[in-house]
Amino acid sequence: MNRFSSAVPDDEYLADSKVLFYVSDAVSQLLEHKEEYTHFGVIRYFAEYFSSVKNSNHVLFREYSYIRATPHNRASFLRVLWRCYRQIGKSGDLLSMLEYRSLLQLLCPDFPLEPVQNAARIVLMDDAIDCLMSFSDFLFAFQLQFYYQEFVHSVLVIYQDLLAGKSPNTVIVPTSTSIEQLPSVTPEESGKEQQQDGVEPSTLAQCIEAFCDRFKHSHPPRSCMTEVLEQTNRISYYSFLMSLAKHEAINQAIGALPSKAEFLIDPEMDQELDKLIAQISVSPGSNSSGSAVGGLKEVLQRKASPRRNIHHRRKIEVESDGSTEETDSSEN
Amino acid sequence: MADKEKRRSGAAPLGMPDGKATKSDNDREFLSQAGVGELLRGAILKMVEARSDDPIGFLADHFCNLASVTEPGTAGCGDADQMNNGPQSAGAQEQQHLNRALWHLRLAHHSQGSAFSNNVRVAYDLLNSTGPRRRSGEVPEGPDGCCTDSQTEVGGGVRGGLYTQTLQCLCSEGGVPASTSAPLLRRLHCQDHEAVPYDVFRHGVLTCAVFSDYIRQAQRLYAEVCCPDEGPASQALGLAVLGTLKEALETSQGSEANCCVNANTKSNSCLEVNVKAMRYLEASAKISPYKLGQAMAVAPTRGPGGNMDAKEFENAAAELFITRVKVLS
Repeated sequence: MNRFSSAVPDDEYLADSKVLFYVSDAVSQLLEHKEEYTHFGVIRYFAEYFSSVKNSNHVLFREYSYIRATPHNRASFLRVLWRCYRQIGKSGDLLSMLEYRSLLQLLCPDFPLEPVQNAARIVLMDDAIDCLMSFSDFLFAFQLQFYYQEFVHSVLVIYQDLLAGKSPNTVIVPTSTSIEQLPSVTPEESGKEQQQDGVEPSTLAQCIEAFCDRFKHSHPPRSCMTEVLEQTNRISYYSFLMSLAKHEAINQAIGALPSKAEFLIDPEMDQELDKLIAQISVSPGSNSSGSAVGGLKEVLQRKASPRRNIHHRRKIEVESDGSTEETDSSEN
Repeated sequence: MADKEKRRSGAAPLGMPDGKATKSDNDREFLSQAGVGELLRGAILKMVEARSDDPIGFLADHFCNLASVTEPGTAGCGDADQMNNGPQSAGAQEQQHLNRALWHLRLAHHSQGSAFSNNVRVAYDLLNSTGPRRRSGEVPEGPDGCCTDSQTEVGGGVRGGLYTQTLQCLCSEGGVPASTSAPLLRRLHCQDHEAVPYDVFRHGVLTCAVFSDYIRQAQRLYAEVCCPDEGPASQALGLAVLGTLKEALETSQGSEANCCVNANTKSNSCLEVNVKAMRYLEASAKISPYKLGQAMAVAPTRGPGGNMDAKEFENAAAELFITRVKVLS
């Protein structure tokens, strides 16, 4: 139990908790919208801010830099993503990379293209990146890419170094033997082209192992990576990531998405949806042909924290009276 | 923290146009006016003190609690503490104070010495301030009955009814069924009209906290030893285990102090005994599988027949504990 191990110094406990990050964001947000929150009570504001962080509603409609700032935020965003667009998976629709990006931008307006691209590369094994993907394939690949973005990036550097035949710059490999055997020129594997530019899994494993020892961001459980790397005798970067993306234990370690088997099951949301659909069919004036996404967003907004709703109302007011508000005072 | 925020927003204006500078000044003023720095500093200190496993959840609860205290009813903000002449009934206010006190008591585990003590003190003062007649600074209506305390309390002491309610809540929150905790509460009971001094309050609270832990241990012990999945364990087995438990309790108490019920016993030493007993128990629940095994091996051959279910075991274990609780009065 944590509380009994007072061996951890206070500042370390604080740093681990990431609380200061949230406190500072809460204050920035407060300053940005102070008029409405003072009316509301500052304490109540903090109560709602931290409740929404706790309930993972806090990432909705926030900027990209915020949603990727902590592991908790990343996991929360993945969960929101799944909850919002699960219907797509259910209906079996296949979408393109750009369509997925549009969906992401509905939740996070400044979501950049690159992570979406990278996720698509994992799904499509770096081939024909415009192909359509199923929602679950995309989401699991996106999860790996988004949650472990620093790690995934570093592995690419290591992999490319290995391919180029040099010792990966960030890794000290103890013996030179592993490097001497370096691949890409070895002609014995003349199978597919894809396979040819793979590396030897044991070498990669060694490098990753050494790298993880010094890595300060989170990375997938080592046992899972070892397991994946033991399965083949030749592995490419994308096939490695694909196996990791599909690895159930890694999914559990992140803890944001359900297992693949339960991917489409969410009775609570189904209920909400049924209610919504009932409402729509009762009121003929409403746009019943509206997209599933719009409806889902509506449900989600209702479920999101009141703070968000206020935020929105506020935005609308601001827009309507035409006043321009400076919002950058508290950034940096 | 506030300093940090101020520095952060204060760092901006240097190279900025005037508009920005005033905005940043406004921000700073706003933060200090709203008491944000104090608020956050207090929250973070509490959090570090409690070392919660879920810091964000802790802060959420902390602020929710503060908010519910400072803004009774639905609307309004700020100085609700001064609103005791408002429409709010005394009962609702009392309930609010009770909730707040319980929340403070939950913050730290009783093994976290000073943090726990501080919280007990805060909870006591809170409950003590309940009741409008005592708030206005009048002389309390006299120490009803038992409690003339050396350290005189401003409010004269927590009312007995409130004290009993606090203990009840502590036990039920600790996962102890009401039927199990009832005998203990009877033993610690104070009359509703009594004014409970701090020492008695602290003793009661600590006893209930330890008791909840103890009962959980006992439940685990039963599950461990008796495989409840396979139906109730045999009574002989249960008794054997209880016997071991009793021995453990006696060792722990015998080593520290004698068990007489004495009105003038220094409450502190007796609290220590309680805590010590708890430690021994935790140990005995785990460390003596050999002794336990021995007892269990012998049990079926000579113990009485029949079965013992988890509830009976729990009650028996509770009784062992309760008979050893001292009464301060």
